[in-house]
Amino acid sequence: MSLRDRPWYPVLYMFVVTAFFSTILIGFSRLTRDRVEVNQQVAFERAVLQVLPLDLPDKISPPEVHRLFVERIAAPTAESGGAYLLMQDGKPAAFALPVQGQGFWDMIRGVVGIGADRQTITGISFYEQNETPGLGAEIVQPPFRSQFPGKSIARTGKPLRILPVGTRLGPSDVHAVTGATQTSTRLERFLEEALTRWRAEEERSE
Amino acid sequence: MSAVPEKKPQAPPPAKKRRKKSETRTALAEGFWTNNPVFRQVLGICSALAVTNLVLNTLVMCLALTWTTALSCLTVSLLRNWTPHRIRMMVQTLIIAFYVILVDLALKAYWPDMSRNLGPYVGLIITNCIIMGRCEAFARSHIPGISFVDGMASGLGYSMILLLVAVVRELLGMGSFLGIPVPGFSGVWDRWIIMVMPPGAFFTLACLIWIFRSASAGREEKKP
Repeated sequence: MSLRDRPWYPVLYMFVVTAFFSTILIGFSRLTRDRVEVNQQVAFERAVLQVLPLDLPDKISPPEVHRLFVERIAAPTAESGGAYLLMQDGKPAAFALPVQGQGFWDMIRGVVGIGADRQTITGISFYEQNETPGLGAEIVQPPFRSQFPGKSIARTGKPLRILPVGTRLGPSDVHAVTGATQTSTRLERFLEEALTRWRAEEERSE
Repeated sequence: MSAVPEKKPQAPPPAKKRRKKSETRTALAEGFWTNNPVFRQVLGICSALAVTNLVLNTLVMCLALTWTTALSCLTVSLLRNWTPHRIRMMVQTLIIAFYVILVDLALKAYWPDMSRNLGPYVGLIITNCIIMGRCEAFARSHIPGISFVDGMASGLGYSMILLLVAVVRELLGMGSFLGIPVPGFSGVWDRWIIMVMPPGAFFTLACLIWIFRSASAGREEKKP
């Protein structure tokens, strides 16, 4: 009876083949891990710069992003409620609040920009998401994101609402992405969490 | 290093050389035209619709697919005498996933912008029917050299159609080619936004399939 006729041969074969290909993949992913981490860091820094009132050109190279970030942005302090700070003349000119939560398929991570009054939103940007292309993933596109600048975080009730397209919008509302109800409601939920915490922090400091 | 036995393709005797050459030509012709994966077999339509609104994204996608198809077919063929019949699909999926993950990792590390543009579609190459179709229909019963050519031809046949769709969509939808504005199409041209949206892909692909099928219909009917 040759090896290949043994009943356990398929199991052994699959084991060996899987071990061989996985070893190469693990090796390659270790090799590229540092680069991938740097890329993710730059993606985050770019998102922070994008939501702040900085008037940046559309295309900036990764080293330039990192240089600007190091130069202009200060790390969160005890008073900033977890937000990164844009300093001007020794005073905070704007805040970049990291937000994250579960989306429809995967984690969504982004940054919300908030003005010096700690209430007006200056922008929103997402640096990590795996939502459905063409539907949920539209949250990263300008038509959705451009609704945010100028909106105000409500003092009471929900700090920010994401409403179906067609409803009338108040000063703290934006329209959802049509066809992406799950992404929109989950996004609203974790934005609400983060902004409620932000609002509480601010009330405490006042 | 490798526990997997590898079989070297035996050098063909000189008499067979001519036949092998024509085999190569047949494999190429099949992939490109007579059995084109997109307009003949209508496979791989998901990505043909999803990543064809910009020529550059499409180009990267096509390279990734051609690389995966060619090398998966080669590997499946190399292992064909050792793979137990009953678990061959598992092995094929594993091999395909291996090559796709390599591409995905490389893009994430060295071209993060492209990786973000293509999003989940690189990973979805694993489920592209063209690759498994070629592994199952051809590579597992042919020698490595010709399997590689066959896989590559299918990948290139797919790329040809996708690039045509992408050129039409980017030109009509954005007025540009590879991001460079095309004279006559930028400015005066009223951009057809629908072409860069998903429906544009359906229209373009349907028209292309219609044209290519009409062009190849005559030849097909002559066959006995």
